[in-house]
Amino acid sequence: SVEAHKEDKPQKTMEVNGLTAVPESYDYDLIVIGGGSGGLAAAKEAAKYGKKVMVLDFVVPTPQGSSWGLGGTCVNVGCIPKKLMHQAALLGQALQDSRKFGWQFTEEVKHNWMTMTESVQNYIGSLNWGYRVALRDNKVTYENAYGEFVGPHTIKATNKRGAEKLYTAERFLIATGERPRYLGIPGDKEYCISSDDLFSLPYCPGKTLVVGASYVALECAGFLAGLGLDVTVMVRSILLRGFDQDMANKIGEYMKEHGVNFIREFVPIKVEQIEEGTPGRLKVTAKSTTGNQIIEGEYNTVLLAIGRDPCTRKIGLDKVGVRINEKTGKIPVNDEEQTNVSYIYAVGDILQDKLELTPVAIQAGRLLIRRLYAGATTKCDYVNVPTTVFTPLEYGACGYSEETAVEKFGEENIEVYHSHFWPLEWTVPSRDNNKCYAKIICNIQDNERVIGFHVLGPNAGEVTQGFAAAIKCGMTKEQLDNTVGIHPVCAEV
Amino acid sequence: MAQRLALRRLLLLAPRGTPSSAFGTSAGRASTFNVQDGSDFQDRVVNSPKPVVVDFHAQWCGPCKILGPRLEKMVAKQEGKVVMAKVDIDDHTDLAIEYEVSAVPTVLAMKNGDVVDKFVGIKDEDQLEAFLKKLIGA
Repeated sequence: SVEAHKEDKPQKTMEVNGLTAVPESYDYDLIVIGGGSGGLAAAKEAAKYGKKVMVLDFVVPTPQGSSWGLGGTCVNVGCIPKKLMHQAALLGQALQDSRKFGWQFTEEVKHNWMTMTESVQNYIGSLNWGYRVALRDNKVTYENAYGEFVGPHTIKATNKRGAEKLYTAERFLIATGERPRYLGIPGDKEYCISSDDLFSLPYCPGKTLVVGASYVALECAGFLAGLGLDVTVMVRSILLRGFDQDMANKIGEYMKEHGVNFIREFVPIKVEQIEEGTPGRLKVTAKSTTGNQIIEGEYNTVLLAIGRDPCTRKIGLDKVGVRINEKTGKIPVNDEEQTNVSYIYAVGDILQDKLELTPVAIQAGRLLIRRLYAGATTKCDYVNVPTTVFTPLEYGACGYSEETAVEKFGEENIEVYHSHFWPLEWTVPSRDNNKCYAKIICNIQDNERVIGFHVLGPNAGEVTQGFAAAIKCGMTKEQLDNTVGIHPVCAEV
Repeated sequence: MAQRLALRRLLLLAPRGTPSSAFGTSAGRASTFNVQDGSDFQDRVVNSPKPVVVDFHAQWCGPCKILGPRLEKMVAKQEGKVVMAKVDIDDHTDLAIEYEVSAVPTVLAMKNGDVVDKFVGIKDEDQLEAFLKKLIGA
């Protein structure tokens, strides 16, 4: 019985190195809790080495009732729908520009939210199915059930009908990801939505208040405004905490000049419903963070994007002794993604002090599996990981921000080279001529090695990827200067 | 695919698309039906005295929306010699997995409970007619 197990198992587990055989027959070699970017990559990789693997994935519906299929946040309510909707907004802008390039059309250009959302959801549906097929083809067992630890090496899986099953495994991988945080004020869960709801919202959100200044908040506010909606962003203090602030402010300025309203240094304290509907009308009351001023506003939709919390508090980690950061819920791991319990590992957004990005989770997951089952030794490199924020003016970055570089190396030891540029495609339609910007941060003491790359402009993601590879190779300023540019493209800067 | 949106779409669809035993045009009456569950499939497809074409499709699949009606029309032309069963792979994932459906649309030709023919993707009316005639005749 599980009780008897508990007495002698913990000692045995601590003594046994995760790599030697344990004298127990388990149902599976590996059980992965969470079918997102990290979990699925790891599961498929383990199956390649002939291991018996199971994936448990379950989406607890949002307060508004939204739910989705296999694939995790990125596929269903993150990167994929976000980029598609960002593209929808860019196309709107392109249509406007096209007239200056000679395209003639007399109709007024309008946007239909339902048409876009349906197309995006159809694509996501095909991805969900693709993941099911991929798991099946890789002979990975999949259960749409909520997994939680009940004892050493044992997990309980509860499906949506409430049926429970117990499974045992030699090793476990926790890849449960995160969910949006709520404000904890009256009316938040009843009337507000989050990014979990936005991408499948069955009605146009209308006049929207976005609460938060994270990249999620700014990206959503950005494309909603690009689709023609009246958008306001309520910011408690700074924009894009953790990112280069010089760049963050430029992004904010651009959005403001292009129709997004900002309310700075206020937080909502109450949300009430004035009228039901799809969308309805909501009244938001907010208080200043610097004084006693109270303001009110009326919106059709309130989108909360104030942060994400790891799904680690209700999966029975206490039953198996996995330590988590009590304040943040994140799991500290060593540089081999192992928790304090030797047979339990973790990857993805739930890791403490690691980047919350899909490619990072996938890479960490795959390398972990290769170390466990294929004798590899390569560990995941979390340094110099490139990222892109898909705000209306896209921002790509790799390496240090200016502030962190100054802090680490000292202001006198770093040199920043920068320039504004005007994309050729923007000239004819007379779009902004001084908004696009690029800068590199170099370490003077190390041969002027490029330690930070930042670019603000169209297709920032595409531009940044190549430079990230160069930075990984240790490119210096001189090497960069010696590289002939491609003309006419933004990247030649 | 997100559940809230799928539900709303279902509610907006014309009766043909609803999960109840659907009937097509008057010509297609009783020759096409939507599979309700595993035992329904067993009764009306596996144990069917007539040959059955099984159309595995999905709401998010564009080509399925073209093939479906076209196939129904060609089935109706066969004057009752063959019936057509429609299976939504998201609603009946177990069935889809059991019959090794990877991409949609996948159409199986079944006789006496056995899969005797199959194709994946869109076909034109002539190709469909040949497919059906082979199933009935063979």
